[in-house]
Amino acid sequence: MSEDKKTLLELKKLKKYFPVRRGVYIKAIEDVSFSITEGEKFGVVGESGCGKSTLGRVILQLYPQTSGACIYYGRTFDEMCPKYFAKEIAKLPQYQKKADEYFKKSLEIDKKADVVRIEIDALSARGSDKEVKKEAQLAKKLSTLEFRSKELKKDASRQLREGSRTVGSLILCKDLPAVQELFSKAQKETVISSEKIHKYRDLERHYEESRVAGNPDENIKKEMEDITVQIKEHVAAAKAFRQEAWDTYHGKDILPITERCLDPEYQKKLDGNYETGINLGKLTKPEMRELRREMQMIFQDPAASLDPRQSVGKSIEEVYKINTDYSAQLRKEKTMDLLEKVGLKREHYYSYPHALSGGQKQRVGIARAIALDTKFIVLDESVSALDVSVQAQILQLLNELSDEKELTYFFITHDLGVVKHFCDRILVMYLGNLCEIADSKVLFHNTLHPYTQSLLASVPRLTLNQEHSTEFVLEGDVPSAMNPPKGCPFHTRCSKCMDICKKEKPPIIEKEPGHFVACHLYSQE
Amino acid sequence: MGKVLEVKDLVTTFRIDKKEYEVLRGVSFDLNENETLCMVGESGCGKSVTTLSVMGLLPNNGRIVSGSIKLNGQELTTMSPKELNTLRGKQMGMIFQEPMTALNPLLTIGRQMTESLMLHKGMSKKEATETAISYLEKVGIANPEERLKQYPFQLSGGLRQRIMIAMVMSVQPSLLIADEPTTALDVTIQKQVLVLLNKLKKDVSTGVLFITHDLSVVAEIADRVIVLYSGRKVEEGTIEQIFAKPQHPYTVGLMNAVPNVDLDEFDIQPIPGTFPNITEDIGGCRFHPRCPYATERCRKEVPAELETEPGHFVYCHKVEEEQSK
Repeated sequence: MSEDKKTLLELKKLKKYFPVRRGVYIKAIEDVSFSITEGEKFGVVGESGCGKSTLGRVILQLYPQTSGACIYYGRTFDEMCPKYFAKEIAKLPQYQKKADEYFKKSLEIDKKADVVRIEIDALSARGSDKEVKKEAQLAKKLSTLEFRSKELKKDASRQLREGSRTVGSLILCKDLPAVQELFSKAQKETVISSEKIHKYRDLERHYEESRVAGNPDENIKKEMEDITVQIKEHVAAAKAFRQEAWDTYHGKDILPITERCLDPEYQKKLDGNYETGINLGKLTKPEMRELRREMQMIFQDPAASLDPRQSVGKSIEEVYKINTDYSAQLRKEKTMDLLEKVGLKREHYYSYPHALSGGQKQRVGIARAIALDTKFIVLDESVSALDVSVQAQILQLLNELSDEKELTYFFITHDLGVVKHFCDRILVMYLGNLCEIADSKVLFHNTLHPYTQSLLASVPRLTLNQEHSTEFVLEGDVPSAMNPPKGCPFHTRCSKCMDICKKEKPPIIEKEPGHFVACHLYSQE
Repeated sequence: MGKVLEVKDLVTTFRIDKKEYEVLRGVSFDLNENETLCMVGESGCGKSVTTLSVMGLLPNNGRIVSGSIKLNGQELTTMSPKELNTLRGKQMGMIFQEPMTALNPLLTIGRQMTESLMLHKGMSKKEATETAISYLEKVGIANPEERLKQYPFQLSGGLRQRIMIAMVMSVQPSLLIADEPTTALDVTIQKQVLVLLNKLKKDVSTGVLFITHDLSVVAEIADRVIVLYSGRKVEEGTIEQIFAKPQHPYTVGLMNAVPNVDLDEFDIQPIPGTFPNITEDIGGCRFHPRCPYATERCRKEVPAELETEPGHFVYCHKVEEEQSK
């Protein structure tokens, strides 16, 4: 992973629990954080029930996340203005006020606590029974007061943290309304540019229609170019407003809301919270729908994802019908082009799914996924149900498409052979937890986590008469995600289990650059 | 070593839209005692139809047209359904891909395991329960007594498949047919099941006919291999012969398509074209439309059997021409 590549998607402490009944949850995903760069083929491996499919679906917001955030950088705030963002800007002074309130309250309580402390000191000098009793009472009171003040301080910094998501450390600025105004101005520019994007799409449609009709209208093409320039201008303006706010107010006129506020380290931390991407979980339905043009999914069973009563052409056209205003003729033409692109014939437009082989059906699934301006595709075991020779064909097609259209794949599979040769980076999951994450070459040469090692040992090999190592063959099954084992989730089946594994959850550490592992074997060094 | 199963020139057809289509076009093979024979091929090549023909479980529109199937010397093709019924389970057992659909969800494991023992072996309920417990132990299941009282939905996929194996093996059949038994399982569980099958085969001295599309599973378990393509055998040989010196272009293509975990550099090399439908009429060698070496002769003549080494049979004009040079 090179440094200059842009991040496309970032997961922050993502959690997904499915409620079973009161108080009982299936903990499908536990605190998973990582990021995917643009154009990357990111593989996820694990046994069934490890949460890999759930992860793919949560990213696409097909399931709402329980907590944590999925942040998408395919578009920035300058290009798209989600409603939640405007609300956040309006709420900024509120955050500041509340933080201030909480902190002041905590200071008052601190004062009360000081009084109690003095009382205690005065008492303990003597020491009759009655006074010992009273001392105990006061000590109890003191600890409640201390606790309350601590909580209030936490609340205060929580408010600031929330605010810093939208404006970074500017939340501490004295002149917050001015900051707010600049951000709102940026927001307005964004609204205009998103309107222009719609206009652009309209023009594009007219142009495409005229192209299909046989005489491409060059005037429209020109107009489209103009609009592109305008969009760019508005985006730049929005960026400039934000930059202005940043330049004028960053690090200046800081309100000493809490005692830490003047600490540059703390300010840096708040700046780190600043989000430029779009938090998918907070989008409204129509906004998410707009983004689905770029984020798509291909399923495992191609037969189940196609309507048996709809011809292949109609199935693909549906994408255009729902998302665009293309005319019937244009839709058909586009569909035909797509069919050719995924290695099918134009005649397949009229055939029905039952007449296609498994590989061909999967090609239709791929065609549907790339029909619009797709950037990111979740492939959920998309080649697992196919025969090896067909599987190889589909993988080759996916490779070609990613080069051509700069697609980013989130490739879910249980087949280590496939990920090794197809993916750039691999995440190994177990019971909803991250085990290991590394570049695919590194993962196979320097396997760290015992679970990854045993997964690798279990893969059937093509070579004969090899020593069948039984060292890493796993006993038993994956425990239930309803009550996962305490400590490291893998300790019940791990051959290198230590005492600490049963008690504490291992932290995720970076063993070598880009190679993260969650295992106590490496955390002690 | 006695021959458990002899299949000769088996032709099975299916009726689709009032027309008969050949699904198996003359398949022959033998299976010895204590041997695992793997049948490999893409879906639609006739692997499953072969097993169904042997078991006498073909669907209503399928029938065996010619050829013979002999189990321990007994001819199966001419047997009445009633006679076949007494053989199934007793002399030949089958393990399916999806254990959940093969187990009855309404009966306990114990009931299902003892039923076949009492029926085929004439055991009393007590004896049957004891045998069931000993076999559950053999397949590595802890607390077998407890498990006998449980229902299939209470067990995980790997456990269910192990119980299926215990159930089939407890009757000590001379032929075990395993139709993709590990395809629905995770790699870790797959490994457990494969190790187990290998162990049990030796204990019970059964011939195993193992159907799979995964060549790497073949490498783990097989003694001999048959490669099927579109209803015909294209290559047969011992595991060493097939993996060290694959002869038929189709076998070679299959090998190259498997993403190998042990290799660092690997180019995905698919076999071009698509697998033919059984309704397609392809003359000569069925593989010629996808074969890079296809000649005029391949389009017209069905290749004859050629023994390149003792026990290694290939059906290919190209190999034959190279040999005769």
